[in-house]
Amino acid sequence: MERTDPPERLDLLQGTLDMLVLQTLQWGPQHGYAIAQMIRVQSSEALQVETGSLYPALHRLQKQKFVKSEWRTSDANQRAKFYTLTAAGRKQLLRERGRWAQLVAAIGGVLDPGTAKG
Amino acid sequence: MKLLDRILRRDRDEDLAAEIQAHLAMAERDKVEGGDDPVTARFAARKEFGNVTLVTEATRRSWGGVWRERAADVAHDIRYAIRTLRRSPGYALIVIAVLSLGISANVVVFTLFKAIALTPIPNVAGSARLGVLVARTDAGRIMPLSLPDFRELRAQGRTLHDFAGTSMEAYSLGLGTHGERVFGEMVTGNYFQVLGIHARLGRTLQPSDDVVPGGHPVVVIADRLWQDTFASDPAIVGRTIRINAHPFTIVGVAEPGFQGSIVSLRIGLFVPVMMQPQLRGIDLLSAREMPLLWGLGRPLAGSSTEAELLSAHLDAGQPARAVRQRATVIPIWRSPYGAQTYMLPAILLLAVMGMLLMLIVCANVSNLVLVRAVGRRGELAARMALGASRPRILRLLFVESVVLAIPAAAIGVVLARALGPLMGDDTVASIAPVPVGMELSADWTVVAFAVLVACASAVVFGFFPALRTSRLDLGAVMKDDLSPRGGSRSRVRNVLVIAQVAVSLLLLVGAGLVLRSLEAARTANVGFDPRHVASASIDLTPNGYDAARGREFYQRLLEAIRRQPGVESAALTGVLPLTLVDSNSVQTDVEGYAPRRDEDMRFLFNRVSPGYFATLRIGLIAGRDFRRSDSVDTQPVAIVNETMARRFWRTPEGALGQRVHLEEGGRWRTVVGVVRDIKYARVTEDPRPALYRPFEQSYVAAMTLHVRSSDQERALLPRIRSAVQSLDPNLPILNAGMLADQIRIALTVFAMAADTLLAFGLIAVLLTALGTFGLVSYAAKQSTHEIGIRIAIGANRGALVRGFLGRGLRLGAVGAACGVAAAALVTSWLSTLLYGVTPIDGVSFAGASAIVLTTVALASLVPAWRASRTDPIAALRHR
Repeated sequence: MERTDPPERLDLLQGTLDMLVLQTLQWGPQHGYAIAQMIRVQSSEALQVETGSLYPALHRLQKQKFVKSEWRTSDANQRAKFYTLTAAGRKQLLRERGRWAQLVAAIGGVLDPGTAKG
Repeated sequence: MKLLDRILRRDRDEDLAAEIQAHLAMAERDKVEGGDDPVTARFAARKEFGNVTLVTEATRRSWGGVWRERAADVAHDIRYAIRTLRRSPGYALIVIAVLSLGISANVVVFTLFKAIALTPIPNVAGSARLGVLVARTDAGRIMPLSLPDFRELRAQGRTLHDFAGTSMEAYSLGLGTHGERVFGEMVTGNYFQVLGIHARLGRTLQPSDDVVPGGHPVVVIADRLWQDTFASDPAIVGRTIRINAHPFTIVGVAEPGFQGSIVSLRIGLFVPVMMQPQLRGIDLLSAREMPLLWGLGRPLAGSSTEAELLSAHLDAGQPARAVRQRATVIPIWRSPYGAQTYMLPAILLLAVMGMLLMLIVCANVSNLVLVRAVGRRGELAARMALGASRPRILRLLFVESVVLAIPAAAIGVVLARALGPLMGDDTVASIAPVPVGMELSADWTVVAFAVLVACASAVVFGFFPALRTSRLDLGAVMKDDLSPRGGSRSRVRNVLVIAQVAVSLLLLVGAGLVLRSLEAARTANVGFDPRHVASASIDLTPNGYDAARGREFYQRLLEAIRRQPGVESAALTGVLPLTLVDSNSVQTDVEGYAPRRDEDMRFLFNRVSPGYFATLRIGLIAGRDFRRSDSVDTQPVAIVNETMARRFWRTPEGALGQRVHLEEGGRWRTVVGVVRDIKYARVTEDPRPALYRPFEQSYVAAMTLHVRSSDQERALLPRIRSAVQSLDPNLPILNAGMLADQIRIALTVFAMAADTLLAFGLIAVLLTALGTFGLVSYAAKQSTHEIGIRIAIGANRGALVRGFLGRGLRLGAVGAACGVAAAALVTSWLSTLLYGVTPIDGVSFAGASAIVLTTVALASLVPAWRASRTDPIAALRHR
């Protein structure tokens, strides 16, 4: 498939970024740059995470005790601040995923009534 | 704790910065690995990341509450403001000095206002909200209530919450060897409970001291009297003193600071009202027609209407009362019992003047801030270009204003403490015939007021500069050089100078009017001649004279005095003229005259001996003076003044032989003489009816002796003293002095207002001069280059001076015109304080205009002349 146009950028729904960040951290501790990269790559470039949203989100999650952070040296020998999911964070992720599934189902029902009935 | 907080925050800031740096480094490395050259990679990484500052700000916002961030910002602004101001200490000092001058003037006025209106009765919580229960006649005269009326109203309980009764009198306090005149309150037993005043020693008066007429010879003394007269004797309770010659036992000393309930008067004694018959010699306790007490207490909601309802009842019970009265509650600031009713208008005037002065101060400071803002346009434009929002910049400017205003508030309070005594307490106390005491200390309300004024002025003087800044055209400023040259449009500054000129003219006109009133009042024809008249008051009550012996004493005293060499005439009078207080008035019937239902038939009266009118040089228009033969045994007679004669009998001659009846009993009195009007209580009063009775036919024990002498004034007083003491060595002489000095109290309010207004006016002119000087200097400095060129090509230096002078004078003329117009509009409000001048007084207006214009001319001339001395070479090279 030829890539002529960059994929359409999508704006994240309010609150969705927190979920994505938590989801990303499920695979292990990561620093801010890597989180942004992973979201971008995994969404096939559709989701561009603005640093101006990412860092406030990380710090907010830390304040809510859903993640914790520590300075570590990365594989590439670069010191960076790594964020780790906490137990509370895991629970929060499950909750948010549940809500997300409900939301998707509800919106799907509206858009495509046949599917919702089945 | 705060420090820890700050350290933690600093750590977090550094942590965040490192985090972002790491992000950038990793992004850069990825790009290098992807094949970019290092420089491109660095820029690409930065571009991808976005605005580091904005990200930092956004992240920091997620840390804590918004208020915390704001507080940190403001703290930062304050630190920054202090740092910048420290770089221009001259500017900061001038601004603070000018501001503190204005603030101190306002603080002084506020302190006076507080003493009279906010805390009228020291030590009583919420005393400003107290209500005063009085009787009001249909003619609007306010009078105390009789004790029976008072008791009825209290039993009804619908006017005030539990209220106390009080009245004020001067008592003679006998201390064994000598007498002292002390003001006292005659109070009901619940007085101290209602006011919430405790005893410092012993006890206060109790309701149980208010039961049997004549049965409670107890007294509570004020703390100050205890200290001054009784040397803080710790064993004072239980001691017996003589008040009006009757023995009273001191049962307690009231708490320190409490000086009674008469606003700004120092009361020394508190006696139960049940002792009234002993103190005054006549029993008025059960007389329904004798005004005795007024009530004092906390008003119920809507108590005024309740009292009006009650009045119907009062009248219903009193069909025979001569004048219809209603019981009514008035707020304490309108009560005639104390200094408030004649002080408040003056204080209000001062407050308005103070605010005007503050306006000038603000205009002046605004000017200074503007000049500085021009120099800072570069800095501010840079801030805005870097993304500072407009509100953020305005906040910075406002914080700078407040940083200047707060120290000014502090200095203002201190300055006011130093200035306060000059126009308050002591000045009045030194001339007043009564002990004046006002609570003029600075408490938190004063400090709060100063801070409020400071912050309000910061808003006002920061307004124009901020307005200008918010209109800043970034491009123009950034392209242009950052020097002040671009800011030469000075319309705002012109307006500020015009405003200053106008307001200071207004203040000076006010000062001029009051000064001219004072002068007019000083030289006014008061109807009598106080010069060369000595005056001494004597009270025979404490020394146990009865009426017959008293008459004889006074007769012998007059004879002894008249025998003295140099004495032209001597006489006795019941009241002194021009003491600001309306002396006794009496309900009067005029034979053959039917007063209208609401006509005020209470007239001033005085009791005088033969020779009184000659001694004071009050002209006799018709009939005769009193004679020695007008005694108790002969026909009762009266002398009326011209106004009264013309009101009831059309001509002075027509009054002779007519008869009047005075309320407090006795027979009809025949009018035997008509005298000219004098000013009875105030210089500014309108003519009003007055009556005189012969002293012999209306004896009281306390009289004042007037002696007219061609002698040296100083020699007169000791001779009067020795004449009195040769008759009775134990008799105290009260208030001995020259009449001219004693009546000066009548001018006190004028004098105080005039002094203060003049001070305000002069400060205003000074500030205006400073403002004009600043404006013209600035204009001259800005055109140094131009002036240099003009001088170099041969311009006339005189013409240059004229140019700048003209500029200053044009502004001055416009300001003066505005000021005259404004003054013409507002001076009519002053009319209650004016005497002998119209509100549109030519002399005041012309004088004020002359002073202001001369000041403006001088203030422009100096910088103009300096500009014309510019050395063209230096001016041109400087650029």
